Amino acid sequence: MKRGVFYFSIVLMVLYCSGPFLWQFITSLKPDYELTMIPPVISKNPTAIHYVSIFREHPFLRIILNSAIVASSTTILSLIIGSSCAFGLAKLRVKYKSFILGFILSVSMFPPIATVSPLYIIIRALGIRDTWLALVITYTTFSLPLSIWILTNFFKEIPDEIYLAARVDGCTPYQIFYKIMLPLSLPGIFTTAILVFIFSWNEFLFALTFTSTPASRTIPVAIALFPGLHEVPWGDIAAASVVVTIPLIFIVFAFQRRIVEGLTSGAIKG
Amino acid sequence: MLNGATGIKALLLLFCYLIIGCTPSNKDNSAFTVIVFKHGKIAGDPEHFKNVLKRFEEENPGIIIKDEILPASTDEQHQFYVINLEGKSSDFDVMSMDVIWVPEFARAGWLRDVSHLFSKGERSEFFPGPMKAVTYHNKIYAIPWYIDAGLLYYRKDLLQKYGLSPPKTWQELIRTAQYIMPKEPGLYGFIWQGKQYEGLVCNVLEYFWSNGGGILEDTKVVIDSDENIYSLRFMRNMIIKFRVTPYLVTTAIEESTRHIFGNGKALFMRNWPYAWNIFEKEGSPVKGKVGVTLLPSFLEGMSASTLGGWQLGINVYSKHPEAAEKLIKFLTSPEAQKTLALTVGYKPTRKSLYKDKDLLREQPFIASLYEVFMKAKPRPVSPYYMMITQVMQPEFSAALSGIKTPEEALRSARKQIEHIMKGKND
Amino acid sequence: MTKRENGYGFVMPALVLLSFVTVYPIFYVFYLSLHRKLLIFDISKYVGLDNYLFLLQDDRFWNAMKNTVYFTAVSVSLELLIGLSLAILLHRSFRFKGLVRAIVLIPWAIPTVVSARMWEWMYNTDFGILNYMLGAKINWLGDTFWAIHAAILMDVWKTTPFVVILLIAGLKVIPQELYQAAKIDGAGNWAIFRRITFPLLRPVILIVLIFRTLDAFRVFDAVYVLTGGGPANTTETLSIYAYKVLFQTLQFGYGSTLSVTVFLFIGCISIFYIKILSKEMR
Repeated sequence: MKRGVFYFSIVLMVLYCSGPFLWQFITSLKPDYELTMIPPVISKNPTAIHYVSIFREHPFLRIILNSAIVASSTTILSLIIGSSCAFGLAKLRVKYKSFILGFILSVSMFPPIATVSPLYIIIRALGIRDTWLALVITYTTFSLPLSIWILTNFFKEIPDEIYLAARVDGCTPYQIFYKIMLPLSLPGIFTTAILVFIFSWNEFLFALTFTSTPASRTIPVAIALFPGLHEVPWGDIAAASVVVTIPLIFIVFAFQRRIVEGLTSGAIKG
Repeated sequence: MLNGATGIKALLLLFCYLIIGCTPSNKDNSAFTVIVFKHGKIAGDPEHFKNVLKRFEEENPGIIIKDEILPASTDEQHQFYVINLEGKSSDFDVMSMDVIWVPEFARAGWLRDVSHLFSKGERSEFFPGPMKAVTYHNKIYAIPWYIDAGLLYYRKDLLQKYGLSPPKTWQELIRTAQYIMPKEPGLYGFIWQGKQYEGLVCNVLEYFWSNGGGILEDTKVVIDSDENIYSLRFMRNMIIKFRVTPYLVTTAIEESTRHIFGNGKALFMRNWPYAWNIFEKEGSPVKGKVGVTLLPSFLEGMSASTLGGWQLGINVYSKHPEAAEKLIKFLTSPEAQKTLALTVGYKPTRKSLYKDKDLLREQPFIASLYEVFMKAKPRPVSPYYMMITQVMQPEFSAALSGIKTPEEALRSARKQIEHIMKGKND
Repeated sequence: MTKRENGYGFVMPALVLLSFVTVYPIFYVFYLSLHRKLLIFDISKYVGLDNYLFLLQDDRFWNAMKNTVYFTAVSVSLELLIGLSLAILLHRSFRFKGLVRAIVLIPWAIPTVVSARMWEWMYNTDFGILNYMLGAKINWLGDTFWAIHAAILMDVWKTTPFVVILLIAGLKVIPQELYQAAKIDGAGNWAIFRRITFPLLRPVILIVLIFRTLDAFRVFDAVYVLTGGGPANTTETLSIYAYKVLFQTLQFGYGSTLSVTVFLFIGCISIFYIKILSKEMR
């Protein structure tokens, strides 16, 4: 009985999370004239025309590449800088820790619309308008607070004795960080990586302001360019959202199995 | 002691990679002048517009056009221009502007004066509405590119069925709708755009103007005149008292109403001309059943239509103003406007084209809009307009939702607008 | 006990990057908030705290504040509740756990602009799937009561995965032995949760609360696309108001004042959270 309730809840949760997305998928297969028909159910004449259209009418492949590069670079950079900072704050001697953490957090407290204008001035002054670099720098900066706070917490969870024991064994703090702390906090690292990646994948305001051509345009901006002044191509938008979301799901799924499942809490004791 | 030296080395390498790998690929060939043209997405097949630009490049060797699109949303375009022009950017030369931005940008000093591009008498070749909208302190700051105005769409098959003709007054529209609706179950009487956004202001002004009211008279604020209160109450009553308009209109924009009407679910609709082509496409449930006419009015002969459309202007910080001038003259020339009308359905701003034989033949619909466009009125042509509309939108929306009475809403609007016009708005 | 090695080398890269990129914008915003800057009229004048005084009696600001506080309070509470339940559910081992966890992430993975349009479509009175399933004709986005709740529902759907994924990671580091010991002692599920799970999850819950509140308080894109702030400003959040002031009316001074106010408010809330929930923040 209990197992039944459990599985029922799982099914409910899956439906809740994927329902609208499935509906997007259904929409993406409908020919235009069926898009607003009632009842809004599965099409009788499914068509792949929207999927063709998004690649034909826009340089969508390049756009996806841009997003992929920007998001991966941001994630890697954010993890490197963030975990290093978190290790310092969690395990080493640093003055004014609370103040530093507070400062880091405050970076995330401003509404982005307030900072987009002055940031754009910086970007233009540096001459990196419409480049990946502009986005990577910005996204890394704004994802650092989350990275640092999450990772600081995870490093703190690792008992101090491990650090001290390793020091006794003659490891430098860097070696401890690289060889011991990182592997032990993989749930935190993995979680941070997913969140940062998705944040950069989906960020809109800065991408809209800093990019102007397909050279560096990312997915959200490209999708925002689908609608004309009045016409909203729901079919194309639905197809695009399916195309850009499914890879994310696969990536998350693949990473999960390899890293998280292998972890047991016994490693902390050993 | 700096630990993590390896980590820092890796970081530096990464940065180098990013910098080297990501420089913009603009190769500025100094033998050519490159003009950057920023605009919202062009309707239809992008090939048509590319061909128009190619023709310009052929006629003007030495100039290359780089056209960069912005999202269609007017808010996002406005935001882009503000951020860039405030930063005195020279990254673009020609821009396509919504009709309501021109006085604002002109006052801010962001637009190049293009009065000298109009030969004597050429001003009268354009519709009066758009010309008024691009003129600020007797100087012209943009050339009208294509025009838009509000129309009344109606189901001519249904009107014929019941032996009725398209209404000339709002009261007549109500009566017609109230007559037909019970006989056609599931049909909405009259749908329009009532969401809290600029489109709402366009709708409301059409009622205000057709009743002899307005927003500003010179610098006097007359938004809470009795005529306006009556008009606004009338709009609210269409929902709750006359019941010809469904409640969902408070979240409706152009596309949602277009879908409803296009599925045959409404008798009357107020919308822009763009919807017509969609209704006449193959497979449209209302193909051949739609008629368009001037919007009704309260007072006889006072039918009013809010002016929309886009204008071409030159960035005052542009490094190539002469070349930019050539481009905007070209794009607004009779030939280019005719081409765009025939290929992507942009409605020309030059009156003469509405008698052009080819246009009359290929796009008879566009030609029939002449009267509407002649009557199209711009929203208050004032640098304060963007602030004024931010006051009007929520107040109109409050009146339509019933949160405030029309008097309260309009009086509150008047107070706020007066505050703005006094310049004490911070 | 030797002195702990100092960690400045580890911390510096982050601080350098953050300072370099954000110091100018943050100071610029603070600076502007003390000015009356109307771009169109080329007015740029220092006015001290005048903007802040104006803000205190600006009805539209208080309306936006009310909407934002309500939106944040309801959203974050729901996200935490639902997220915690889902995380606990997913913590157990079962077949397809990996796949389900990946699916749970879908709402967070869809770009916000797409999500908002999707929900706008679902909320459509005539052919939206919500009304279809309920058999009703609710004017979700155009009713002065429903609009903000529609926005909240969309936001909760979208951001609950963020909570779930963080809580799952937090649950993972709770040693299994504690659970086993408790079970041997005969403790019931609720007691286990109250005595073991919840206290050990507190640090992660703190992070979730802070960042979700931060984000909900600054919400812009999703709500703006969905309702534009309407009807009648019932969904106008502080960020939407600030956006309109900054980029529609070009009042850069007052717009910055609004932004600084948001910043200060969020700062106070964060401090409050930290004091209440954190046992020690070294």
